[in-house]
Amino acid sequence: MWTYYLTELAHSLPFFLKGLWMTIAVSGISLAGGTAIGFAWGILRTRKNRFIDHLIGAWVDLIRGTPFLVQVFIVFFILPEAGVHLEAFPAAVLALTNLGACFICEIVAAGIRSVPWGQKEAATASGLTELQQLRYVVMPQAMKTILPPLVGQYVLLIKDSSVVSAIGVMDVTRAGWLTVQRVPQGLLVFGLVGILYFIICYPLIHLSNFLERKMGGGTTSF
Amino acid sequence: MIIFREVHKWFGKLHVLNDINLEVGAGEVLVLCGPSGSGKSTLIRCINRLEPIQKGELIVDGMKVHDHRTNMRKLRAEIGFVFQQFNLYPHMTALQNVALAPTKVRKTSKREAMDLGRQVLGKVGLGDKIDSYPAQLSGGQQQRVAIARGLCMRPKIMLFDEPTSALDPEMINEVLEVMKDLAGEGMTMVVVTHEMGFAREVAHRVAIMDMGQVIEIAPPEEFFSNPKNERTRLFLSKILRH
Repeated sequence: MWTYYLTELAHSLPFFLKGLWMTIAVSGISLAGGTAIGFAWGILRTRKNRFIDHLIGAWVDLIRGTPFLVQVFIVFFILPEAGVHLEAFPAAVLALTNLGACFICEIVAAGIRSVPWGQKEAATASGLTELQQLRYVVMPQAMKTILPPLVGQYVLLIKDSSVVSAIGVMDVTRAGWLTVQRVPQGLLVFGLVGILYFIICYPLIHLSNFLERKMGGGTTSF
Repeated sequence: MIIFREVHKWFGKLHVLNDINLEVGAGEVLVLCGPSGSGKSTLIRCINRLEPIQKGELIVDGMKVHDHRTNMRKLRAEIGFVFQQFNLYPHMTALQNVALAPTKVRKTSKREAMDLGRQVLGKVGLGDKIDSYPAQLSGGQQQRVAIARGLCMRPKIMLFDEPTSALDPEMINEVLEVMKDLAGEGMTMVVVTHEMGFAREVAHRVAIMDMGQVIEIAPPEEFFSNPKNERTRLFLSKILRH
């Protein structure tokens, strides 16, 4: 029996690899977009504009305080009622990008706030523009605080991407759902699904740990 | 060069600067002292608008600092500021620290800025430390890099906010020596400090602040030997004892 299932599963391997590719595509695009938007929001949150800070803060709280599955459903099933029709793939990317942006925004804002205020004052006093202060003085230092949790967040988001299988995106998780109907060995099928996620995430976990060690021993001013 | 006219500033309800009237001429060295919380740091930080003032006029190098429309970046480029905590950029070498503003603000070529940086770091006695990171330097060396960072902009005014207060005693003199040289070259300087030896030797005038006001201002001989204000006498007796 087991050999039968294993052969069946082996036959399904190309199907899983396609799913893996879809998971990588959804996560990859969303992580890139979420990182760009998250940095922009994080930087905006640390400016002295209370209104923008609160606006982004409220949105971040809302997204962080609701299940990702619900957000995906809203994008895919509710937005069409407002006239925004999205295919499953763009809907998934949109929802995951937004989720990523919200978490990354908080990581970036915390990183910027960790740079001593005197650094910004020194840069201001020397006549640098706000953008120059950010680029040459604040961000290079903030990145030390930002990078380890950022990579850790990537791991979480890649795993969260499995939720988009619920709206029919053919990712690894959905490949598992469909396969288990033919090969009724849940442990075997979802074991394979788990392994495929692990293959992507494990190097990132190590990268995060490595960055943490590297950044922790960095040079500080005083 | 620097003119305060009826300047007021509040932190919430706290009246930190109360009717400041003060002029600093070109080439003048003014030392500001006074008990902590008297407003001297706030006053010096107003000069390049690290702190905004709320009332009165403040004119620096002909520019209205109190006016919101004034382009402060242009003025700040002309004013070097030295902080108590040095505030060097920890991710840059000494040379990169001093060359950043010249290349980005003055738009000097990188090569020119580096040459200038080497020259100025040499002048403050750190010619052999140009490639060191701040964490590899002693407090006194860091503060001299910070002074060099200001000087590399070829400023018209140098402001010092308690430049030796964070230093170990044996490092104070190396920083004061650099400042004395600077004063000797005719730099316009405002120095917040408790180093009364420096004030006596270098300052053209010494001012003392208390509760947000300048309560006395006089040339050092007069200031130290014949203070007119009772609170000045009290302050001097406290800090000159040790």
